[in-house]
Amino acid sequence: MPDAYIYDAVRTPRGRGRKDGSLYTVRPVELLAAPLAAIPQRTGLDPALIEDVAAGCVTQTGEQGACVARFGLLAAGYPEEVPGVTHNRFCGSGLEAVNHGAAMVASGYMNWMVAGGVESMSRVAMGADGGAWWDTATQWSVGAVPQGISADLIATMNGFSRHDVDSFAAESQRRAAAAQQADAFSRSLVPVLDPAGLPLLEADEYLRPGTTVETLGKLKPAFDVMGTRFGLDALTRRRYPAVERIQHVHTAGNSSGIVDGAAAVLLGSLEAGEAAGLRPRARIRSIGLVGSEPLIMLTGPVEASRRALARAGMVAGDIDLWEINEAFAVVPLYTMAQLGVSHDRVNVHGGAIALGHPLGATGAVLLGTVLDALEDRDLATGLVTLCIGGGMGIATIIERV
Amino acid sequence: MTVQDPYLRFEQCEDTGIVTLWLQGAAGVNKIDHAFGAALIERVAELAELEGLTGVVVATAYRDWCVGADLEFLYAARDPAHLLEGVLALTRSYRALETLGVPVVAALTGSALGGGFELALACHHRIALDQGRVKLGLPEVSLGVLPGAGGTQRLPRLIGFQSALELITQGRVLPAPAAAAKGLVDDLQPTPEAVMAAARTWILAHPGHRAPWDREGFEWPAPAPDSPDARNLFMAGSAMLYKKTAGAYPAAEAAFTAAQEGARLAFDRALELEARIFVKLAVSDGAKDMIRTFFFHKNAADRRVGLPTSDAPDFAKVAVLGAGMMGAGLAWICARAGYAVVLRDIAQPALDRGMAHVAKQAGKLARKKGQEHADAILARITPAVEIDALAGADLVIEAVFEDIGLKHRVIREVEPLMAPGGVFASNTSALPITDLARASAHPERFIGLHFFSPVEAMPLLELIEGRDTAPDTVGRCLTFGQRIRKTPIVVGDGFGFYTTRVFSAYILEGAQLVAEGHDPALIEWAARVAGMAVPPLQVFDEITLVLGKHVVAGSKPYLGDQLDIPGAHLVARMVDELGRTGRSGGAGFYDYVDGRRRGLWSGLGGLSPHAPAETGVEYLAFRLLAVQAAEVARALDEGILKRHRDAEIGAVLGLGFSPPSGGPLAWMDRQGLTGLVERLDALASSHGVRYAPAPMLRAMADRGERFFPR
Repeated sequence: MPDAYIYDAVRTPRGRGRKDGSLYTVRPVELLAAPLAAIPQRTGLDPALIEDVAAGCVTQTGEQGACVARFGLLAAGYPEEVPGVTHNRFCGSGLEAVNHGAAMVASGYMNWMVAGGVESMSRVAMGADGGAWWDTATQWSVGAVPQGISADLIATMNGFSRHDVDSFAAESQRRAAAAQQADAFSRSLVPVLDPAGLPLLEADEYLRPGTTVETLGKLKPAFDVMGTRFGLDALTRRRYPAVERIQHVHTAGNSSGIVDGAAAVLLGSLEAGEAAGLRPRARIRSIGLVGSEPLIMLTGPVEASRRALARAGMVAGDIDLWEINEAFAVVPLYTMAQLGVSHDRVNVHGGAIALGHPLGATGAVLLGTVLDALEDRDLATGLVTLCIGGGMGIATIIERV
Repeated sequence: MTVQDPYLRFEQCEDTGIVTLWLQGAAGVNKIDHAFGAALIERVAELAELEGLTGVVVATAYRDWCVGADLEFLYAARDPAHLLEGVLALTRSYRALETLGVPVVAALTGSALGGGFELALACHHRIALDQGRVKLGLPEVSLGVLPGAGGTQRLPRLIGFQSALELITQGRVLPAPAAAAKGLVDDLQPTPEAVMAAARTWILAHPGHRAPWDREGFEWPAPAPDSPDARNLFMAGSAMLYKKTAGAYPAAEAAFTAAQEGARLAFDRALELEARIFVKLAVSDGAKDMIRTFFFHKNAADRRVGLPTSDAPDFAKVAVLGAGMMGAGLAWICARAGYAVVLRDIAQPALDRGMAHVAKQAGKLARKKGQEHADAILARITPAVEIDALAGADLVIEAVFEDIGLKHRVIREVEPLMAPGGVFASNTSALPITDLARASAHPERFIGLHFFSPVEAMPLLELIEGRDTAPDTVGRCLTFGQRIRKTPIVVGDGFGFYTTRVFSAYILEGAQLVAEGHDPALIEWAARVAGMAVPPLQVFDEITLVLGKHVVAGSKPYLGDQLDIPGAHLVARMVDELGRTGRSGGAGFYDYVDGRRRGLWSGLGGLSPHAPAETGVEYLAFRLLAVQAAEVARALDEGILKRHRDAEIGAVLGLGFSPPSGGPLAWMDRQGLTGLVERLDALASSHGVRYAPAPMLRAMADRGERFFPR
């Protein structure tokens, strides 16, 4: 089977996902259009050659409904002959889009695909799309709790303390600030412009440089009230009866930031690249997908990574750099512990705790991030993995060429 | 004009055009059986054609308005398709009444319950007689089903999801004034005539009235369905329910689903959804077992079917010996029932504490019913230290310390002071009545009256016949029990009688499972998943490990080594070596801070060196229920239990044996006796003789019998 190659990866800076965020005035379809438009601009590739655009987007309702990928690519100036598809695999959607693109190219069905994602959390609130997990019938049969409770459950069951998660979060902030200072992001960031062509945002704005364990320690646990006072913790006993009480350790400061952002990755075959005079940066080596227990929800990256590694004939130690999405601090902590991976190799430029997690885009964002970091350090292999709502995990392994 | 019909008569007033629809079911009872349902469908169809109809008043010809479905019929219904047909026909007839196009008023001069209250909900306006005897509500969940004729759809649309689901999932029935406060009725009137007049007035003032949900621009009481607030409410509500029930009450869960999903649908289809969910529950074993126990068995017990009666006059003066919580509570409930009571304790401080408890109960009652009412009850209670105060008592209930020597002394001391022909009763929880009666001058008038704590709330009274107790004594005490509003079981004599035997087996098994090395958190959770009202280690702490140790020691003369199991040793060790005596001592199986439970003691695991071969929630739940069931079977075999209904009522009402199971006999039926006997034999050989199936149980299994026919 021929390989799928990554020719470019771009993203917008991430704006705060609130009414005072820099990207709040931008419609989601235009936010997606920014990185999509940047791809042909930066590479010189004729967009007519792009055979599909796959974009991840989670809260597909309102402004993010009705196949935002299709209207986004049209807004980006792609020819109308280019179709689009919008994927929802919750937080894994961006990487889902990349994997979809990789499969289409590697199988030989397509020569060029653009994969990415978008989420405007300031304009379309998380959860606005409803869904069965809000129904008591689903709660009684399958089980569903808010993700923060799942995260606190993982922390309780695995002995991760408030100090552990705060330390991880402080380190993520430190690394992100350092990377931003060292200009490690700028070659992949595309600015978002206002109607007059003025830049609305040129660098990620969610970070809080100077965050320490002490400052984080002052924050109140975010899921304590819903868990203990409203009793949502009780719903986890169905599967975890031995856990008498959940320790609520996650706060706004050690959980992923709510932000606006979009990303795009150009995927193509080797021949297609040669024909277009483009040099690939990396190839997709492997992917992994799993379903896992829905109540604890966030442990999927472990098995997804294992599957991707096994498929590639690799072991965890072979991976030079990892991006494990920081949905909650415990997720990379748990994943690293399970896989025996050191924090030195993980999220080296900080992660979603500092930079933000634009749900449908993050997978593609992390792909670009790890690729940049591999190039900076002249390392070879990277693995991107995200935990996913409803209990799933997704992983992709790339290798520089 | 008037239409005569055995069940539903209507007459139209010529002047106003208002029809009064009189509910007059068979045998003086308005309940919804096949005939009633058919009659309603016909009458409503006729009303739809009636000329000059301006409104309908639905009224009762009897004391009650409509008390709900015919439970004999519901109990027997096993064919879902057939039952659905019937339920849909009924709910559609209510809907037809609701959509007649004229105002419809429910004149609630009597109780409306379940399907009866649902008929009232289908009326546009509810006016109730302002009296406490008029009871209104939807108790279906307590019988393992849910309201199936619109209750889960109309009540939320009237008073909002939260209030509606609280009432429905708790199966709450309210007296009319409280019902009005909650929005279940719109108006209260002082007399039946005033109710009828107000109904007519309302109709004339609201021509063409329709139900709110049939009107343009209908808005749900907040929160609106599927709004973020509603979603959060349902998630929090379902979490609360799960926390309380551990998934053991499918009917309550189904009520949530019916309300949430029905809210999204067109109203008529919402009614259909509710009916389908109702049918699923109604044909299940769960509903059958709950209906049998909580309706048939409880009614038979309350009506004292098959039990001795007495022509003797009721007791005139009750004496309660021992002013602990039980004694004080007994004094209160006797006085509340109209008896003159003497509460005696030999120690003034104890007496004072007991009277403080009485005062607290009086205070609570005063807030609800007024100071005068409470004072009248208090006036009936005489506290006393001197024994002379007991003179002339014709019912003595002793609630002194559980020591046979002490009780014998008390009997000999008090009996001579009693009125001639009086009855002496012991509230002992375990000591055989026959042995206690050895100190009595008249064992034929000596009996066990075993109450449950807190006696103000717990409905069960276990009457124990000693060898010489006369049927007349039993009859007199049953009359007494009825007057103080207890549900009676009448059992034979033996250590622990019935309820204490089974309760001890339960809590000791909890300790035993800890001794075997099972995770205590799993043990407690397994009990809850099994439907037990309180988990074993928690309740053991409540009654104290000291008492548990005492009961085990006290059992030796009667049960030999039967309770000599590692669990009992563990309890003794906790008391003697570790000072962990229970909740009142500040530490037991659980840790306590300022009297509040803080979680299982982390040192429990260290008390057992073992790792059990087999564990898990399912296994532990089975062990906890099976050990009790084995005890119940033995009690039946030995003649301690004399009737099946006592086994069920006693277990469920007395010690919280899984109410959704219907009781231990129903539980055994559901396991299948053949398979159960096999498993009990295996457990007896691996874990102890307490699991051994009683000969009667084995014989039933061999013959392929069940306790209750399917």
